[in-house]
Amino acid sequence: MVTPAIDLRGLRKVYPGFRRAPVEALRDISLCVEPASIFGLIGQNGAGKTTLVKILLGLSAPTAGSAKVLGASPSDTATRRRLGYLPEQMRLPDHFAAEDFLNYMGALNGLDPRTCRSRIPRLLARVGLERTRQAVRVYSKGMLQRLGLAQALINDPAVLFLDEPTDGLDPLGRKDVRDLLIALRAEGKTIFLNSHLLSEIELVCDRIAIMDRGRLARMAAPAEFTRGTGEYLVTVAASSDGVRAAAASVLGEDVRWEQNAARFVTRDLAHLNSLLDQLRRVPVEIESVEPIRLSLERFFIEVVGEKATHVAHLS
Amino acid sequence: MWPTFLSSLRETMSRRVALVLFGVAILVAVAFNWIAHVRTSPAGSVVIAIGTQPPGAPEIAVPAVLESELHAAGSLWLLLAVFAATPLLTSTLEKGWLELLFSKGTARWRIFGGRFLAGLALYAISFAIATLPVAARLWWRTGVPTWQISLALAMQTLSFAAILSVAAIACLPQRGVALPIIAAVAVWVLAPSLAKRQETYYQLFSSHAVREIVDWVYRILPKSTELEDLSAAFIHSGRIAAWWPVWSTAVFAMATLGLTSWLLRRKSF
Repeated sequence: MVTPAIDLRGLRKVYPGFRRAPVEALRDISLCVEPASIFGLIGQNGAGKTTLVKILLGLSAPTAGSAKVLGASPSDTATRRRLGYLPEQMRLPDHFAAEDFLNYMGALNGLDPRTCRSRIPRLLARVGLERTRQAVRVYSKGMLQRLGLAQALINDPAVLFLDEPTDGLDPLGRKDVRDLLIALRAEGKTIFLNSHLLSEIELVCDRIAIMDRGRLARMAAPAEFTRGTGEYLVTVAASSDGVRAAAASVLGEDVRWEQNAARFVTRDLAHLNSLLDQLRRVPVEIESVEPIRLSLERFFIEVVGEKATHVAHLS
Repeated sequence: MWPTFLSSLRETMSRRVALVLFGVAILVAVAFNWIAHVRTSPAGSVVIAIGTQPPGAPEIAVPAVLESELHAAGSLWLLLAVFAATPLLTSTLEKGWLELLFSKGTARWRIFGGRFLAGLALYAISFAIATLPVAARLWWRTGVPTWQISLALAMQTLSFAAILSVAAIACLPQRGVALPIIAAVAVWVLAPSLAKRQETYYQLFSSHAVREIVDWVYRILPKSTELEDLSAAFIHSGRIAAWWPVWSTAVFAMATLGLTSWLLRRKSF
């Protein structure tokens, strides 16, 4: 049996309060992330994503439950040498130049200077960072983000934790990062992605988890989140009386008429076929037939919004 | 620890307050070289004139010059170095940098220890810049041995280590540089009055219990005043009159750093 890259069981984290109520940041989180996959974690601000990542990096200790990365505790330095991490708000001392910084980060991961020196040019090219001899104080947000990615990869990690990796990057830069993540997965690395950009998560992740108020609300493959609703959208070019009559015979009043077109939503495949049969009897040009899918964003809003409404009702 | 030490030392050099420290060190060295005139007397012997004072025999004047330097470096210096070195410790725990450092495959105490050593090196190097050129020049010109300044430097560095260790432990409960600096300076300010507690606190408190507490506070805290006096006496005599201030300060520094490392290891960020 393959050891999961990340294995969480009954994980709970409570921040004790001083003169205020304790805050339960994580509630009974259990999940497994398979090796060589990209796992996306999404949730509202304060949902507990950062706390979870901190526990996985050994920065914070869980109150209860267990967290294992690569089969071992992340509080072991030997385990952490096989991890890479890009924090959301990376802050570096101003004096560093990119190469010095990467040398230092490599040294902290136990790499000898020669190995660092040989890896750095390739890494900088891979993340698309130039002007590496300048001090980081003159770097743009995008350059810092690329440098952050490079430091996360300096030790050739088996598991990579990325918090908003495309933050500050332009559209081309974002695509570069997506391509990089896919390439890293192909190399056998596991990537734990924490992002607010749902469209990006949807594009690259093998599994996605939605966190809500410290709990795992849903976890599935992107296709399951964005599955078809069973409904179809049919668009025809012109809306003559014949078309109206044909549509009304199948759909009743449930038709959206536009100036030079008509859009029909059918409830299932049989319903769609009945509509198409009727439409074929009148002279009409069918422009498109599309299955209606949920977007990840809509799903996310439904999951989080539904719970928020539920909580509001309870209170 | 070594990579962090080197990196932190470079970081230190980029800070303005450290540059001020080195600038002042160079000024002190230049000033003492200027003040101490080495001359040959009409009788053919080498004499040293300090400022406007009459020339004296090198065996007496050389230790006197070095002692003056030591006192200059032991007071203001230490304070400046606390301001320069404490940010090295507090910046380790700043959001965004902390996550990068402590998520790597190096134990937290090694990272923090490396930064502590860089702060210590900052003090020792600047102290050496201020004192060693003068000591070397006087030895070269007069032949009077001045190696004692090295041991004095070591003792002063121990004193600074103990005070910086207070700043280190004060970094943990909160972020920011104010509390660690206040704590370190407070310990340093208390040291002279505790050393002379019979003339200070004993006059204020007649209670035996309170005096006992004051005695214990004295025993526990670093003995910066005594170390400075011992260093000065060592420059003159080449002997350490009492080892108690040395080892008790060393024990304090080690214990405080040990406790800091333990707390840092347990801390959740």
